[in-house]
Amino acid sequence: MTADAIVAKNLTYSYGQLLAVDHVSFTVPEGEILGFLGPNGAGKSTTVKMLTGQLRPREGRATLLGMDVGHNTERVQARIGVCFETTNLYERMSAEENLNLFARLFAVADFDAGALLKRVGLDGRGRDRVEGYSKGMKQRLMVARALVNRPDILFLDEPTEGLDPTSSETICNIILEERNRGATVFLTTHDMMEADQLSDRVAFINKGQVVALDTPHNLKQQYGKRALKAEVAKPDGGLETREIILDRPETVAAVRELFSNEQVVTIHSEEASLEDIFIRITGRGLGG
Amino acid sequence: MNWRIVRVLVAKDLTLFFRNRYFALITGLAVFAYAGIYFAMPASVDEKLAIGLYAPQLPPVLEELQQEEGLTIEQAESEEALKDAVIEGRLEAGIILSAEAIQKLLGGQKARIELYFPSDAPDEFKEAIITLVRELAYLQSGQVLTVEVSEQVLGRDMLGNQIPPRDRMLPLFAVFIIMAETLGLASLISEEVEGRTVTALMVTPVNVRGFFAAKGVSGVGLAFLQAALLMAVTGGLNQQPVILLLALLLGACLATGVGFLMAALGKDLMSVMAWGIPVMLILSVPAFGVLLPGTVSDWIKVIPSYYLSDTVHLSANFGLGWDDVWQNLLILLGFNAVIISLGIAALRRKLQ
Repeated sequence: MTADAIVAKNLTYSYGQLLAVDHVSFTVPEGEILGFLGPNGAGKSTTVKMLTGQLRPREGRATLLGMDVGHNTERVQARIGVCFETTNLYERMSAEENLNLFARLFAVADFDAGALLKRVGLDGRGRDRVEGYSKGMKQRLMVARALVNRPDILFLDEPTEGLDPTSSETICNIILEERNRGATVFLTTHDMMEADQLSDRVAFINKGQVVALDTPHNLKQQYGKRALKAEVAKPDGGLETREIILDRPETVAAVRELFSNEQVVTIHSEEASLEDIFIRITGRGLGG
Repeated sequence: MNWRIVRVLVAKDLTLFFRNRYFALITGLAVFAYAGIYFAMPASVDEKLAIGLYAPQLPPVLEELQQEEGLTIEQAESEEALKDAVIEGRLEAGIILSAEAIQKLLGGQKARIELYFPSDAPDEFKEAIITLVRELAYLQSGQVLTVEVSEQVLGRDMLGNQIPPRDRMLPLFAVFIIMAETLGLASLISEEVEGRTVTALMVTPVNVRGFFAAKGVSGVGLAFLQAALLMAVTGGLNQQPVILLLALLLGACLATGVGFLMAALGKDLMSVMAWGIPVMLILSVPAFGVLLPGTVSDWIKVIPSYYLSDTVHLSANFGLGWDDVWQNLLILLGFNAVIISLGIAALRRKLQ
């Protein structure tokens, strides 16, 4: 049986009168990628800060790798990697110097900065100062920095936001490689497609509360609308869209009737996206 | 406290500090520049007072006047030559003693004597010359003064052994160098906060105590080493080196505490500099008091750097020991405890 890498129990935090995270509880088993989804201000970053020991919860507790974060902050932090949403690299240092600095802080023996830079596609640029890097290069370096200590848990906050497709793909591949290595990944993102592709499970957070937590497949099953969408030719030469809801007693007859009576131009299955489900659950979109 | 982590952070801080061109230049040049100024200034004090005299007929008391210690009397060829010498600064004062005036003096009559002073002569100096001339006239007219003056110097008699201005400037240089590092340290911390690199550090085994310790070691180290190097190069450590090094170390700690406070007060690098420059100037005021005695009053003792400037001045220039400066060092230590505690508390609040 797989142990839980992350256990959040009634985590609560408020900024003054504003309740940012409201009694949030969930667990993440070892080796799982959890997509943590929610609009801006929903409490995602505050939850991550409590899990990584940057903020002390007002109520509740977080346990990582069997250790209470509040009581074993440094021991926990030695075994996690965090990639922040905002770039926070030492810009007047080179990529190699940035990685070597963190390797020394984590006391990583025989650290090979070049190999890690190659993994994130920055080989050959390791000795350049970070101030000359593009946004995509900086983001890839941030991911590399989070991997310096071969973490057991990897926290990634919007790791692909605003990146070109190549950089995004590089980072997505690294996330999957880390999961395959056995690391647990806590992925905070706005990107529903990315979350759907990468996550074993997704959690929706809204107004400081986790409102749904399951695999993308189950969520779609539970909340989504399964249907067939067909385009048929009209007598005047135009196209008309028809929708047939699946899993109903009349579905088979409806499909037969469509092909018998209409000239079908295109037909495909229609699946609810995570964004549709989020809107359905919370009544608001992920954009804000 | 994990000193391995502190060591790594200090190495990082020093790398970043010297990659900031401004601070790297200031740090590198400051010692050379101040040492250069020091050695360019005269190493001794000219204690002679040179006054000029134009008198067609030399008065008999002139010889008596020339015997005054530290006084040089130059005879001018003409009234115009005397005026020019005073204007050009070759003479501190000029006396015109016309033939008529001497005759009147010898006859016991009231005579008119013209005195010339440069425009920047202080009133006290003018009064002293007028008094000297009056006494001479008194003697010239054959009257004996009814007072006998007994001269006693309280404390160490510095006659013939005055402190050259360059040595008076040493505390100023040392304070400047130390306080300049306040800006360097504050900007280093501010950059970490502004660039959020401190957040990246705080999710590693680095804790807040380690972060402060590293910044403290970097700040104290940079300030102390520069000040100590300057003092060593200029010969300032020839007397009481232990006391002086301790004073400089405490001064460097003071600069570090002030640096923490400024980094906490400033919202960004620009506001840190805006806070830092006036603070640096205020902390330098006591050193100006050493350079220009009598220009500052007792209120200056509320500025913590007074106790650094005063100790450096007393020990480096007069060779005074523990008995004379222990109170200064103790007060400086007290100020340090308060300022460093406040700085850490303010900065910790900002980081959290």
